[in-house]
Amino acid sequence: MAEAEDARTETQAAKTAGPPGVLRDRFTIRSNQPLPDLFTPNAEAYVAEDKRDPNRSLYALICRPDLPPRVTVMRALKGVLSPGIVQLVEWGAMNWAPAGRQCMTVVYERPAGKRLMANLRSEFRRIDEYDIQRRVVEPMVSAIKELTSRGITHRAIRATNLFYMDGAGERLALGDCVSTPAGFDQPLVFETIESGMANPVARGSGTYSDDLYSLGVMLIFLFLGRNPVAHLDDEAILKQKIQQGSYGTLVGDERLPLALIELLRGLLCDDPDQRWDIESLDLWLSGRRLSPLQSRMEKRAARGFPFNGKEYFNCRELAQAMAKNWEAAIPPVLEGKLELWLRRAVEDKERAQVIADVVRMALTGTTDKKVAADLMLCKVLILLDPPAPIRYKGFNAMPDGFGSALAAVVAQKADNRLLVEIILRAVPSLWFEARKAYLPDNSLMEGNFKELKAYLGQTGMGFGLERCLYELNDALPCQSSLLGEDYVVELKELLPALNAAAARRSDTKQVPVDRHIAAFMGARARSDIDRNLQGLSDPEPSKALMALLNLYAVFQYRLGPESLPNLTAWLGALAQPIVNSFHSRDRRKELDKELPKIIRRGSIVEIYNLLDNAEAKDKDVNEFAWAQAQYQAAEEEIKRVKTDSEERADEAERVGKQTAAMIGILIAFVTTTFVVISKVW
Amino acid sequence: MAAKKKSAVAQAQAAAKAKKGGGVGMNKAAVLMILAALVPFSLPTVILLFFTGLPTLGAWASEKGRHKYAWLCVGGLNFAGVIPYLFTLWFGVHTVDEALNMLSDAGVLLWAYGASGFGWLLYMITPPMVASWLSFTTDRRVASLKSAQKKLVEEWGEEVSRKGG
Repeated sequence: MAEAEDARTETQAAKTAGPPGVLRDRFTIRSNQPLPDLFTPNAEAYVAEDKRDPNRSLYALICRPDLPPRVTVMRALKGVLSPGIVQLVEWGAMNWAPAGRQCMTVVYERPAGKRLMANLRSEFRRIDEYDIQRRVVEPMVSAIKELTSRGITHRAIRATNLFYMDGAGERLALGDCVSTPAGFDQPLVFETIESGMANPVARGSGTYSDDLYSLGVMLIFLFLGRNPVAHLDDEAILKQKIQQGSYGTLVGDERLPLALIELLRGLLCDDPDQRWDIESLDLWLSGRRLSPLQSRMEKRAARGFPFNGKEYFNCRELAQAMAKNWEAAIPPVLEGKLELWLRRAVEDKERAQVIADVVRMALTGTTDKKVAADLMLCKVLILLDPPAPIRYKGFNAMPDGFGSALAAVVAQKADNRLLVEIILRAVPSLWFEARKAYLPDNSLMEGNFKELKAYLGQTGMGFGLERCLYELNDALPCQSSLLGEDYVVELKELLPALNAAAARRSDTKQVPVDRHIAAFMGARARSDIDRNLQGLSDPEPSKALMALLNLYAVFQYRLGPESLPNLTAWLGALAQPIVNSFHSRDRRKELDKELPKIIRRGSIVEIYNLLDNAEAKDKDVNEFAWAQAQYQAAEEEIKRVKTDSEERADEAERVGKQTAAMIGILIAFVTTTFVVISKVW
Repeated sequence: MAAKKKSAVAQAQAAAKAKKGGGVGMNKAAVLMILAALVPFSLPTVILLFFTGLPTLGAWASEKGRHKYAWLCVGGLNFAGVIPYLFTLWFGVHTVDEALNMLSDAGVLLWAYGASGFGWLLYMITPPMVASWLSFTTDRRVASLKSAQKKLVEEWGEEVSRKGG
């Protein structure tokens, strides 16, 4: 049956397949040779070939374009050789014909054997207590140590992601962990209670402690050879984990060897502070046996809290129920029923008082009642269950998972109003304020969220939600529609991609920047370019274009490449307003003559230098002002000459008469002189 | 204080006016007395000048308006026509009979009055000529200014004609 399905998949793939993809000019990905056995829940696997070593057995996973892959983990994991993980050979964006666009591709070493557990309901050959340490625990611990030393987490440790690396079925290794956001592919059973409460896309990278918990769950699966909670759905598993603890839920009545009990109790401890760490595992591996950790369950209330037709006996369970029924949860809290229950049934007067204060502030505050009530409930849920994710109106996210959630929402073009609201109302700060112990990572994240709020407050290009998106996801490719399907992750890839986009552009009036590109630049530039970004939104087109030229020129100068002829042609075609901002016709002609030469050279730096000559600009402005003054002076003189005709006639008459008089007198003098001379001689 | 000052100034002006007026009157009287004393000795000259200079007196008396220059133009030419006969009188027989004799000569009157007529002609044609000249130079100036403006527009575009902000 499965074979028939595989054959169907292969036939379908062969139909839709196009030419093979080529990654970094070295790896050929055969789009007509899918490998359904190696598919992950959100990535398809295909045969990959290494041109340098054709005998090497590889496969490639094609990531979904609408989910942000873990590029930082890819960078750290490339080439790492560890017995517990399948080697990541190469990664990168590649033109993928079946999708008709560039897709992130990850090339892995191909396991010789099969997947240990095909799905969560299947059964497989169990690994007994004598083999489990050597075949599973040791390589997995070594892998987690390797990852920890590189500052990353796996977050995909599960029995369905475990492969036999050899034909003999001896070596087991963990498969892909980078093609989707951290923990996204994980079934709830493999996640801690807190992580399980979060939306899958917003689980966050977490810490190695989360990996150790998943390892604990996987060990139970391996020892039993099946899923012990296969009969339960996710909601039931979470509920049971909260009520009975993870160990109790997963082990139940199964009989385990003592050594394994100790290991599993340590790894499945629901309190992250008490959960075993790498040192404890090392001690266990070296043969030192400790008394098993006894899980401390939350105090059960004397009477249940009635909510939504059910009764809840502990705070965590109640908080989870309230988070799921947001609107229904607000009235009982505002009415003080929760405070009373905490005081009388749970006998936690301190927490009851804090909640009473929060409710009172919400009721007496001057802000919008609905907003105040939402924030109040969010705070109350955090107080009821501090380790739980940030829960706000149905959206549950670990603080470090907020970025991937936002990326997914934007990529899927879904409604992002709730996420915007969370940032603007500083909801994450409520979560950070409730932390009892200081963690540098938390204060860093809190600072980042404050910055995001400031970015959202600015509506110009380079800010807003797009800026938050790129600030939260360091490895998210630029989502600009101008770049088409190009995969631009780093700033140095932006200008070449725009150059390629310039060659195929149809709209000649389109400026080579949009909100995504501007925000991408702002988030990825190492220096603070916010002032330059503000210039992009200048209402005067010539000033906005100069700001853009300035940015692109700096990037070309710093990151290359030296020649971008298509992009310079694009920018040059838009530079007419800047040329026209010069008053002098001679200067304009000079610029019009010079621009095409620079465009051919492909240098944005030279275009910028040509158009942003401050000295020439000042000279132009001063000379223009002088020319205007000259023109006006001439105009006024002409007007004066034309309007003073009466005065001019009067003047002409006066001068004429005076001239005649002078001539008369002169003639008299001359005659007298002649007469005198004639008489004297 | 101001009233005092004003009255002082007014007094000074009045005094100066009185002094000036008195001075002019005195001079006029002195000149007239000298001329009156000379009349018995130069009566022939006076007679000749009076009768030949009638066009000048006429020009002086007939011209109206602010710019009274006709008597100078007509007078100049009138005098130029008379001066040869005046010298003949002075260097010949300087008597009243000789003066009257000259006046009875049509040639003397023709010269004197003909020259005056030429003076009138000159006085009439000079202002239009000057006006034409002035108009010509003004037109040239306007053309030169318009040409300069055109050059500015060619160099800086139409916006140069807008008043600078």
